[in-house]
Amino acid sequence: MQFLGSQDAKVSAQSRRILSVKDPTAAVRLRQTQNADGGWGYFPGKQSWLEPTFYAAVALAGEPAADRAWILLKSWQGADGGWRPSADVHVPTWATSLCVTLAQSRNEFGEPFQKGVAWLLGSAGIEGPLWQRVLVRTHLFGNPERNLDLKGWPWKPGTASWVEPTSHAIVALKQASAKAPSGKLQERVRIGQAQLLDVRCQDGGWNYGSHAALNVDLVAFPETTGLALIGLQGQPGLGKSIDLAVRMARETPSPLARAWLTIALRLQEAEVPPSAVDLASSPETMIAALSILAEDKVHFFRTGAVT
Amino acid sequence: MSPNRREFLAVTGASLLAGYAGFTGAKPTRAAAQTSSPVSIIKAKSYSDDLVSRILEGVKQCGLDVRGQHVLLKPNLVEFDPRTCINTDVSVVAAAIEAFRSLGAAGVKIGEGPGHRRDTYAIAEMTRYRSEIPQFDALFTDLNRDDVSPIQGFADRGEIYLPNTALRADLIVSLAKMKTHHWAGATLSMKNFFGVVPGSIYGWPKNELHQVGIDLSIVELNRIFRRTFAIVDGIVGMEGNGPIQGTPKPAGVLVMGSDLPAVDATCCRIMGIDPLLVEYLQMAAARGLGNTAESHIEQRGETIRSVRTPFELINNFKQLRLA
Repeated sequence: MQFLGSQDAKVSAQSRRILSVKDPTAAVRLRQTQNADGGWGYFPGKQSWLEPTFYAAVALAGEPAADRAWILLKSWQGADGGWRPSADVHVPTWATSLCVTLAQSRNEFGEPFQKGVAWLLGSAGIEGPLWQRVLVRTHLFGNPERNLDLKGWPWKPGTASWVEPTSHAIVALKQASAKAPSGKLQERVRIGQAQLLDVRCQDGGWNYGSHAALNVDLVAFPETTGLALIGLQGQPGLGKSIDLAVRMARETPSPLARAWLTIALRLQEAEVPPSAVDLASSPETMIAALSILAEDKVHFFRTGAVT
Repeated sequence: MSPNRREFLAVTGASLLAGYAGFTGAKPTRAAAQTSSPVSIIKAKSYSDDLVSRILEGVKQCGLDVRGQHVLLKPNLVEFDPRTCINTDVSVVAAAIEAFRSLGAAGVKIGEGPGHRRDTYAIAEMTRYRSEIPQFDALFTDLNRDDVSPIQGFADRGEIYLPNTALRADLIVSLAKMKTHHWAGATLSMKNFFGVVPGSIYGWPKNELHQVGIDLSIVELNRIFRRTFAIVDGIVGMEGNGPIQGTPKPAGVLVMGSDLPAVDATCCRIMGIDPLLVEYLQMAAARGLGNTAESHIEQRGETIRSVRTPFELINNFKQLRLA
């Protein structure tokens, strides 16, 4: 596996505070590592997957490379409207949200977009088997750690709601709602946002799916805190969460977290603190692309409040 | 979101009927698990001990031959919390690389797909894997984002996609951490296989496995991956509310063997847990994946009695305490 960041760059990054998240070589690397089918792998030289292809296509929007990527992604949509995550994996997943968002950014509101929205509207997390859900509602064993009436989105149909897929679905549907307002879309977004707020941790951030496990509080993760704040644009009462996100953005050693938090803070119109994280230290395609989005293309995720 | 830990009975029938077009051709049988399984217990007081020698001693005691094999080391790398010890210590991984190379392996790689955090390389950085294992980036495959192939027959799900790096390895060494687990009782070498399931399809966490049932998923993954060896890092384990929020518990041992249920049963006995009450170990034994009865495990190196270190159990699992 090729290590894309140089040791020199790493040393340099550690010796100074970095104000910009942009990796100056990222766009060049993305152009060089596009696969022949038009997609990108999670790492250079690997098979194309939807997620890195989506981020690279957004980072290179307006270039022929992005158009080729979109042609590939459209070919991965199933008859039911859901998108599979790669050519070889025949399971529709959460990544449908990404393609719905990408279609909108390209002003393409035809069948792929409409079927994708319909798929997202029909998708919801399933919080355990029926007997468990019924049992929880009896409150015989105490109160549940989360409101099971609120539905987010799962990574994969048939599983529970999680912060990351829920945030992406909210962005896709909020943007769709702005283009074509409908009560059904707005209601689904409201429930999704309420679900995100319901699972917020005591510290104001988000773990990956719940605020507690076995009645023990969980701590927030920086990646999911950034993503939740992107999903919750326009919501009131996020001050504590934004304060935490600022602290996380300053302290996290994770390039992925730094990129998400930067996007979130810019969308929330909060100040982005400097950090020592060197985004070029990661070999991942996604992080290279996110470094461009965080610097230049935050608007791609802009939704405002639900309309 | 809570896993349906007890739900496995509902899907056991479907699982038994599910066809396995496996890649190993080594479908286990009850008869195969009746022979005695060697499990080596090696004392190691700290991570600054000569762990290469300790691992070589255990491998030799178990009679493992890796000459010419492509070995994939699968540590337990989940997330990082400086207050506790969630992950397989980097020194154990580094020592295993050196040990298997010295034994003539054709190649030694590392693969893991963390179950909680998406930024695998950041976790590798925080846990010092990236700084202390020479050429880490060249040796490492993020199993969450590897290219995948479908394997037919996984519980009631028909198929599961698994990473090619794991499927193509001649031998997977489960470099697990000795920990209690708040859903499964204990997480050892068998549970460590959750990390091979790709997040790129199943998410973070890999909730599909919880929906199938944690115990059944552990058994199914170990049915699919049969060319395995285990080295459990119990030098400092985790007790209480594991696998993330528990407390460090020094046990001062490495436990090794080719029969993973036997290794995990031995670890349980060291931890003061009755392995015959741990659901996935019961299922593994019943399906012929390995031995868990003490009478069918040939203990080598130290005795269990000499290293027994009872781990604190949360209330949900107090009943597992070994009498």
